[in-house]
Amino acid sequence: MKEYVLDEPLTEGFLEFLGNFGMVRSLEQLKKPYFSFEKERFISIKGFTGDNTVEVRYKKEFQDLVADYFHILLFYYRQGKPGIAQMKGIEESMHEKMNVRLGPSKENRP
Amino acid sequence: MNPGSRETPSPLIYLNNAATSWPKPPGVLEEVARCLQLPLCETGRTAGTGSVDYPTAAREALAAFFHAGPHQNFIFTQNATDSLNLLVHGFTKKAGAPFHTITTELEHNSVLRPLHALEQDGAIRLSVVPFRDNVVGLAEIKRAICPETRLVIMTHGSNVLGSVQDIRPIAEYLKANDIFLIVDGAQTSGHIPVDLSDIPVGAFVFTGHKALFGIPGTGGFFLPDPEAIAITRQGGTGTDSRALIHSCEMPERFEAGTQNYPGIASLRAGIGFIVSTGLDEIERKNRDLTRFFIRELKNVPGVTIYNDDPGLPVVSFNIAGIDNHDAGFILARAYNVITRTGLHCAPLVHERIDGGKGCIRASFSYFTTRDECRAAADAIREVAGSADSQVRPD
Repeated sequence: MKEYVLDEPLTEGFLEFLGNFGMVRSLEQLKKPYFSFEKERFISIKGFTGDNTVEVRYKKEFQDLVADYFHILLFYYRQGKPGIAQMKGIEESMHEKMNVRLGPSKENRP
Repeated sequence: MNPGSRETPSPLIYLNNAATSWPKPPGVLEEVARCLQLPLCETGRTAGTGSVDYPTAAREALAAFFHAGPHQNFIFTQNATDSLNLLVHGFTKKAGAPFHTITTELEHNSVLRPLHALEQDGAIRLSVVPFRDNVVGLAEIKRAICPETRLVIMTHGSNVLGSVQDIRPIAEYLKANDIFLIVDGAQTSGHIPVDLSDIPVGAFVFTGHKALFGIPGTGGFFLPDPEAIAITRQGGTGTDSRALIHSCEMPERFEAGTQNYPGIASLRAGIGFIVSTGLDEIERKNRDLTRFFIRELKNVPGVTIYNDDPGLPVVSFNIAGIDNHDAGFILARAYNVITRTGLHCAPLVHERIDGGKGCIRASFSYFTTRDECRAAADAIREVAGSADSQVRPD
């Protein structure tokens, strides 16, 4: 688990960007609007919109492959809409590496 | 956005005392400092004198606190887990042949994992008895006993449900039937009176860093009959150094290597605080806090409390529509309320109460205030009221 302080607060736009890559849950009625992001086999993120700290947990199984995933998300978020497709491409490449590691059984594939 | 580092918010409402109590009484911190200000009085390991013989003084404090002796039969370890490992593996080694063991669904992994490891090795056959109405009673234990049963290990107080087992009739029955009983008192020691002169346990395990107010790295067990447990750890004792076989004398029989002097000093001071405050007064305050907190939460829509009459200051609950880890995160980061979430190292309890998903646990100490309980309950109420989560699928 790592905690990051970002140089600007998390925005609703970032949550929308995250929604392209995994499950985003949010509790917007709280005094600090909470969100969590879950991407199976990759990472989970917890934090509050408007806050500049986030907790990131890397999935153990492929920790070496996904160690930079959060940083890459932040990088492509800054690219705007074109960043979504580029991020999907990076993800696809990570998936392929995971599949190679998992072997031929399709049941195990992310 | 770029990553950096984070500041810790304060002040905290600390409701995680069943994991480790905080804050410690001022006298505990002062005693730790005092212990380290002078050279250690390590019996057998120094030519010096003048400092306090903390291990002996702490053993005497423990013997008086638990009404048991001789004080040499109180053994220091790192924590309850360490104690349980020493006892379980020592008993199994002493038995020399496979036997039947009974434990309960209420146990912590400090019991379950050593037992399952021994079961995998073929050293024991294991039965796990269920709890009913949050406790395990003599009837459940009796049902599991067979002619090969030699050992029963059970918790005195559940770290999830806060329920306290009536161990005296169980201990009496097992003693009469020549079955060794190890009681895990990690959650009860310091919270409720434990009179070991009245309960014929085979061994009683305690930890220092919870309700006894010591610092982490302290714990131990009381063992009336040292011969019941084989030695599984050998080393320097500061005594009879010519012998290449480990000492059979108590307490050296189960203590090898230099002791955790600051930790033992803290444990002694923690017991001193409890004695001077009065265990009755501590128990009364904890009971009041627990009842108050439960009353505050009981009728909150979406909040499920798993035991609304705990004997220990432990309240476990879930909030409908919010994963327990998320709820714990929100309480900690948005309200500075520190709880513990997940399985609390007691997976079998959770299989029964919440389908193995885990829950949120709030646990109090003598230093918790009613205002803190009220503020925590308000925070939980607010979170529960916001639980109609919006999910954005990918």
